Amino acid sequence: MSGRFLGLLLVLPALAVIAFLFILPLVMSAVGAFQVEGAFGWGNFEKTFDLYTKDIIFSVVIIAISTALIGLLSIAIGGYLTLGEHPVAVAILRWLYRWPMFIPFIVVGQVLRTFLSKSGMMNNVAINLGLIAPIDATSFLDWRGIVIAFVWKQTPFVALLVAGAMASLNRDTIEAARNLGASRLRVLIEIVVPQVKMTLTVGLILSFVTMMSVLSVPLMINAQTPTMLTADIAFRVNSYGDYGVANALGLISLVLASSVAWIYLRASLKERA
Amino acid sequence: MAMDEGFVELRGIASRYGSTQVLNDINLSIAKGEFVALLGSSGCGKTTLLRLLAGFQTASAGEVMVRRRNMTAEPPHKRGMALVFQSYALWPHMTVAQNIGYGLKLRGAPRSKIAERVSAMQALLGLQGLEARKPSALSGGQRQRVALGRALAIDPEILLLDEPLSNLDARIRLTVRHELRALQKRLGITAVHVTHDREEAMVMADRIVILDAGRIAQAGTPEEVYNRPASAFVAAFMGAENVVPLSGTVDGEAFVIAEGPVNAAGSVALMARPLSTGSVEARFRPEAARLAPAGDVMAPGTGITFRGEVLAVSYPGGHWRHVVRLGDREIMADADRAFAPGDAVAVHVPAEALFLFSSPHQAAGSTNSRAMTSGKVSA
Repeated sequence: MSGRFLGLLLVLPALAVIAFLFILPLVMSAVGAFQVEGAFGWGNFEKTFDLYTKDIIFSVVIIAISTALIGLLSIAIGGYLTLGEHPVAVAILRWLYRWPMFIPFIVVGQVLRTFLSKSGMMNNVAINLGLIAPIDATSFLDWRGIVIAFVWKQTPFVALLVAGAMASLNRDTIEAARNLGASRLRVLIEIVVPQVKMTLTVGLILSFVTMMSVLSVPLMINAQTPTMLTADIAFRVNSYGDYGVANALGLISLVLASSVAWIYLRASLKERA
Repeated sequence: MAMDEGFVELRGIASRYGSTQVLNDINLSIAKGEFVALLGSSGCGKTTLLRLLAGFQTASAGEVMVRRRNMTAEPPHKRGMALVFQSYALWPHMTVAQNIGYGLKLRGAPRSKIAERVSAMQALLGLQGLEARKPSALSGGQRQRVALGRALAIDPEILLLDEPLSNLDARIRLTVRHELRALQKRLGITAVHVTHDREEAMVMADRIVILDAGRIAQAGTPEEVYNRPASAFVAAFMGAENVVPLSGTVDGEAFVIAEGPVNAAGSVALMARPLSTGSVEARFRPEAARLAPAGDVMAPGTGITFRGEVLAVSYPGGHWRHVVRLGDREIMADADRAFAPGDAVAVHVPAEALFLFSSPHQAAGSTNSRAMTSGKVSA
């Protein structure tokens, strides 16, 4: 009996940290989302959908496009690392592709701001190469900029997971397909990717959730409407002290993030069955 | 044999892995419909040779020819060969039917044709009713047959087998040997089978190619490599692990063995063996020896008789196996009755079961010498 008590005592600090610093604030925010001037009601949500429906759709579309592109790019990178036959190119790619992972989002935002703006490096290079006329130079600092920032920052992370899973595949399964005449692209699509499907899904979901919570990139790249939910939350809190609507927006983000997690859980249960 | 010779030819194949020479000067001609076993211990280069044949590895020298066409630079799928992997390498995300049909799908065969061929393969290999299963829901034997079906579905001219039986239970393995051999004969397909199991090679192959340190030590029918091993290595590998140093002289068509500390004088017919006067290494199998109480008179002249003392006796089944001490070394000898430890015995090895090799560089240490006294390199 005393042994059990001691065990509880040992986990208590950790439990307390989780309860008071994580669960309690989460519950309070969730409850706060339904509180308007001390009484429970849907007021915050009505206001949220009135003002921010466009932003919700914008966020989902941006992040969905980014996730799809991240998936494609990480399959391409992992695939080349696994199936590439040019050892030097493989070594260079292996060394190079991880770097963006170590650069904070805010720096990514700053870098891309100078790169993508109307007078930024991208347009300058294109004009100097004669690819576009100076008059046609446009700024990419809108939804496209956010997608580029997300993809650039998150692809290495997913590629790292995917390439690791691909490297641990039984090489014989690849050679068996080559032996029967499968091209490298078919090996990648029909043999390799299906076997790392779960890892790819996990990587993309983690990426999705990360992108849902990034504030710096939309603030730095896309200072206009529509914008991402994170920017709206910051705006509600900082400019109006309106925690009610901010909480409602937060809850909507949480629902969006958990819906992807639910897709993953369902898929993994199906896999095991 | 009514096979057309030189269907598959390996000419002067060499392969290097880093600075290690894995294969050296491999010349081999395989007839159409022949079943060839590449036999050797691990690290002898047999799997490298198979992968080279399949096109997964490139030779540092030499040529691979099929039907007199140079295939050395061709990619794996243009060689008309299908490989069955040791790990089976089934695709875990595909069903049995998808695994077997994949090669045909790659060739753009219509769906009905694929289904027809897949069910033909299932019937051939006894996989009926399993088409919708994933590999993880199959037994080892079933997986092995799916791997075989996948290779055979594309109707290859040459079937390459990389230790396909080594992951099976011992009992299943024995039946699969015969099934595989019967199937190969029925389909008339040319097969190259890599194995380290000498019995498996003996039972299945038309011809055994024994590899030692990247070179062909001997190639021949099972009877040839078993009864006329070309080197001490082959003899040891084929089970003649008893080794005794002797000396003798070449006398016309016979090799006359001088009386030694543990053996009586004897003589064996030379039969074109490249023996020279001097010290030789004698090898024989435990089952080739005949035991008799010391002093019993045995047929003199044919073969050789050793004098020894029984150290231990055991019964592995069918006969009694004795450990016999001959001077400073121990050998194994079988007999129908048990001799007691301590008995003085005569060990007779008939001429046809006694393998003699001139030992110019005293290299007995490289083989499975039974010299028990540690550190003593026997001559």
